[in-house]
Amino acid sequence: MIRNARIGAAEVEALAAHAGLPLAPGRAAVIAPVLDAWVADANALSRKMSEERCRLLVPVTVLVHPQTDEAER
Amino acid sequence: MSRDQHELVSLTLTEAARLVSTREVSPVELVEATLERIAAVNPRLAAYITVFEQEAMQVARAAELMVLAGHNLGPLHGVPIALKDNVATRGARTTAGSKILADWVPEHDATVTARLRAAGAILVGKLNLHEFAWGGTSANPHWGTVRNPWNIERFPAGSSGGSGAAVAARACFGAIGTDTGGSIRLPSAVNGIVGLRPTYGRVSNHGIVPLAWSMDTAGPMTRTVEDCALMFSAIAGHDPKDATTARAPVADYMVGLGDGLAGLRIGVVPGYFFHHLQPPVHDAVRGALDRMVALGAQLVDVEIADIHGNISAQLTIESAEPSTYHQRWLRERPDDYGDDVRTLLEVGELLLATHYLQAQRYRALLRNQFMDAFRRVDVFVCPTLPFTATRVGEAKVVIEDGVEEDMLSAIMQFTGVPSLTGLPSLAVPCGFDPDGLPVGMQIIGRPFDEATLLRAGAAFQAATDFHRRAPEL
Repeated sequence: MIRNARIGAAEVEALAAHAGLPLAPGRAAVIAPVLDAWVADANALSRKMSEERCRLLVPVTVLVHPQTDEAER
Repeated sequence: MSRDQHELVSLTLTEAARLVSTREVSPVELVEATLERIAAVNPRLAAYITVFEQEAMQVARAAELMVLAGHNLGPLHGVPIALKDNVATRGARTTAGSKILADWVPEHDATVTARLRAAGAILVGKLNLHEFAWGGTSANPHWGTVRNPWNIERFPAGSSGGSGAAVAARACFGAIGTDTGGSIRLPSAVNGIVGLRPTYGRVSNHGIVPLAWSMDTAGPMTRTVEDCALMFSAIAGHDPKDATTARAPVADYMVGLGDGLAGLRIGVVPGYFFHHLQPPVHDAVRGALDRMVALGAQLVDVEIADIHGNISAQLTIESAEPSTYHQRWLRERPDDYGDDVRTLLEVGELLLATHYLQAQRYRALLRNQFMDAFRRVDVFVCPTLPFTATRVGEAKVVIEDGVEEDMLSAIMQFTGVPSLTGLPSLAVPCGFDPDGLPVGMQIIGRPFDEATLLRAGAAFQAATDFHRRAPEL
């Protein structure tokens, strides 16, 4: 199994820069432990969802048809 | 017309509506008593952000005249109701519990607001919540920390904490909450009231400040299941202004409440539903199941193979979607958020798109497994959350073995399942811990089968008195 790299303040700052998210001083250290824990769990879920038995599953997203609703308005 | 304030505010919503319709109680009396009750308890609870003193009295006087003229607007005619403050009210500020929207005065009602008004409800105010509904404690840095009426040193959960506290404290007859990851059911459980998270798409979200679009729902919070059914009937149904609402027929939810539990098949997932619980919660929910079996229900053990993983999926979706909605404000006004919500919004920006989409694929997996199980059971019953109300201000919780856990992850142990699957879920009081704090159970049903949940909850309340107990304030 691939171990997750730990996420510290430096990694948070790099990710935030990629996201175009300015972080005030000290914010990266606050975010890092939360993100580290959540990403580890999210990666575990991603491994589960990458199993062959899940190959045909489609994400729960919604496509609405606004023209139908416009007619109702 | 001689009932005192305590007697009036102690009526259930259904009783109050009936007494108004038979002219035994005036809407003016109900609103006066409710406003007095709010004034008495709100300084301790911080449940209300805004109270509509003048407007509510004006509407009450009009409602009284209508009753005297033989005209009844609908099933909620003359009954004081309150709204979580992320639900838009025309001409009245709607803050979402935030500093950012502190001065927002909507030009239109949310559909839920409009439907309550059309049913005759008198809106008495807007209720406090966790900032932007993104959190489970209702410790709001802008509008005050909401407190639990059973013990004001304890939290009311959230995010609809003001709704839960106000209903339990008899400071309104019913309230609207919103629920993304548990925000109706959690405060219902820890405040000892009933709360319904409807099937996703059953109630319109139009005019409600979003948290996570793919999971947001609105629903009633009341003291009894019967009240919940009455209020739900007024707000359920397709809305052309919300394309995610369904066209599935709306049942008369008051019919069938007395049909009992005989033959009802209750599913439990033994490896998940009764693990990792504070002992009083375990005992109360087990006791509730025993009671339901004694009333004619059958228990069926069910395996949901992939139920583990739901908390991560929940957190991923519930952080990525709000961070999308808040993207501009987070860059322009980061200091206007409370510390905890700011952190969650920043975290949500840093997850990967693949994390989000795998979580959305997991929802399909989990839903398929529950739908398969519904061939053998009619409902599932589990705890609403694994612990009772913690002390105000705590970010950690101890559930077992003295181990401290992160509150946000722990609080979603059971509420995440309906949120991810879109299934309806009813929170019902089912006991108290040794400190006198309420315990709630959660009844989960098939899509659009809220009627069965309400039937089961009503049968349980007919045989128990947990919902009749009131906090002393």
